[in-house]
Amino acid sequence: MNAISVLAIILFFLLILIAGRQGLKSFIGLVLNFLVIFLLIILINWQFNPYLVTAILAVVILAIAIYLSSDRITVMNISFKTSLMVVACLMMLAIVVQHFGQLQGFAVENSDELEGLSLNVGIAFGHLAMIVMVISVLGAVAEAAMAITADLFEVIERSPQITVQGLQAQAHTIGQQILGTAINTLFFGMLGANLPLLIWFLRLRYSPALLVNAKLLLMEIMTMLLGMLGILLSIWLASWLVVHTFKNKGRSLIDETDL
Amino acid sequence: MKKISKWLILGLLLILTWVLVEHDSFLYQQPVGLVTATKTLSSSDVTDEHGNVDDVHIQQVQIKFLNRSGQIKLENQYTDSQSLSEHYQVGNQVLLTKRSGSWQVVSLKRDSLLAVLLVLLIYLLVVYLRPARASWLLLSMLVNIIIFITALYLDVHIKNINVVALFTITAALLAGISLLMVLGKNRQALITWLATILSTSLALGIMMLVLNLTHHEGVHFETMSYVTQVPAAVFYAQAVIGVLGAVMDESSDIVAGLFGLRRESDQHRFHDYWQGGLSVGREILGTLINVLFMIFIAETIPMVILMLRNNNNWSYILDQIMNLGILQSVVSAIGIVLAVPITSLITAQLLTRGQKYERH
Repeated sequence: MNAISVLAIILFFLLILIAGRQGLKSFIGLVLNFLVIFLLIILINWQFNPYLVTAILAVVILAIAIYLSSDRITVMNISFKTSLMVVACLMMLAIVVQHFGQLQGFAVENSDELEGLSLNVGIAFGHLAMIVMVISVLGAVAEAAMAITADLFEVIERSPQITVQGLQAQAHTIGQQILGTAINTLFFGMLGANLPLLIWFLRLRYSPALLVNAKLLLMEIMTMLLGMLGILLSIWLASWLVVHTFKNKGRSLIDETDL
Repeated sequence: MKKISKWLILGLLLILTWVLVEHDSFLYQQPVGLVTATKTLSSSDVTDEHGNVDDVHIQQVQIKFLNRSGQIKLENQYTDSQSLSEHYQVGNQVLLTKRSGSWQVVSLKRDSLLAVLLVLLIYLLVVYLRPARASWLLLSMLVNIIIFITALYLDVHIKNINVVALFTITAALLAGISLLMVLGKNRQALITWLATILSTSLALGIMMLVLNLTHHEGVHFETMSYVTQVPAAVFYAQAVIGVLGAVMDESSDIVAGLFGLRRESDQHRFHDYWQGGLSVGREILGTLINVLFMIFIAETIPMVILMLRNNNNWSYILDQIMNLGILQSVVSAIGIVLAVPITSLITAQLLTRGQKYERH
């Protein structure tokens, strides 16, 4: 039997066993997001406007990642709002980065894989580079927004006497912790994803000049830096939104959270 | 006023960085040039065997050397898709080399963009975290990068080194150092580290077991890009490092939550901690799985589209291009799920150890 299917079945049962209904929702979310990425690839292949397709499907992916991960509607609404704004900023930044960096397409390092393939395919690979940068950071942005918002709601629930200033101070303390661990997650994830490329660069003794200019490596570093910026902005904005909502609505904010 | 000046400083800093690094060609040993003029010599439509239409252009590029005197002209062929070729424009800076008598562009010069983005990130980190804490975070990342590069060096320079063992030890070390620097030298860091290592090992153990039992069916290590050594070993190493970050994130959240619970009251029983840990874990597990999934899948998009355009069918593409990305996502997800009970169990056990004797 196919090893990946076996592992996917194991994942499914572990999710149900450990997280119950929540786990089932997470599994469905993962499958749905996989399908959305398929849709994205198909639409780009059919040469729909890449900016429009990316913007719309990024919203869909964020919605799936956030609304299928928790039960608390206000927490999810604030996280979703935050993620949308942050991803909009990052998408613009990705377009600028691609414009100045020209990070598109393949390089001589890919020769083996490209053997026998036609490269004159009439799709602008510059757009694809932008898409890769935007899609890569979606998960990290949503995760950071959910983590800080959920934690702050926890604080409001647990401390009936908390003032706006108190909440603000808590937001900063918790935000700093979340930032540290979330940046590490992204950092290790990117290292793990790019191990073969890094070994390649070392083994073939690339000069320091190439290490800070070569297309393939810079594409990965840029994606990682955009992701880290995304995490930071996400925590910043979500804290501000929670504190701001608390200032306007007071404790009524948490009444409807547990559906 | 203070806020405005903060952003003004950032703007100036970014411009200054850009200008400075654009003028750093004297640091380069190899020739660096500036594109001063381009001229399109010819353009033509090409249709490949799959019916894709692309435009091929030949441009003449005039380049002025920046770190030595003189200028050259060279011809460059590019397609509109720019899949493997590049379209040079006036103002681009390029690294050059001379091969068998004629000049060639090695790479576009992108270091100023890298510097600007780094400065932007570091500045915002300093503003949000305050200088002391930001430098601590940056220092821990720097230490991690140095350890990682050392591991890569060992891998490249020692023959027959056990790659899986090397990167497992590296991963354990990286996790230890990150936790020490974020949490300090205390019991909380130790428990988080233990839980991280255990969950990661268990997830990888399950992966290896399944791979052995199914005889690697449907897994194509040979499709890995940039292969310079045995791909299966490199994949295990990749999986260890990728899983570790997410598991560490989750474990530290659970452990921090349970230590908070103990601060409220030290009367809690094993059961309270166990349930508390599970509920914190369930909340964050879904979004964490998505983080790694997005990273692993997004990377494959350009190649998938190239394959589609070359009339390959989806099942072949899933098998050849997305295969390892999907495997890595699933294994990471298993690690993330397993971390919830493992971390809750270890923390609950250690926090309630000795309690029994006090009660009776």
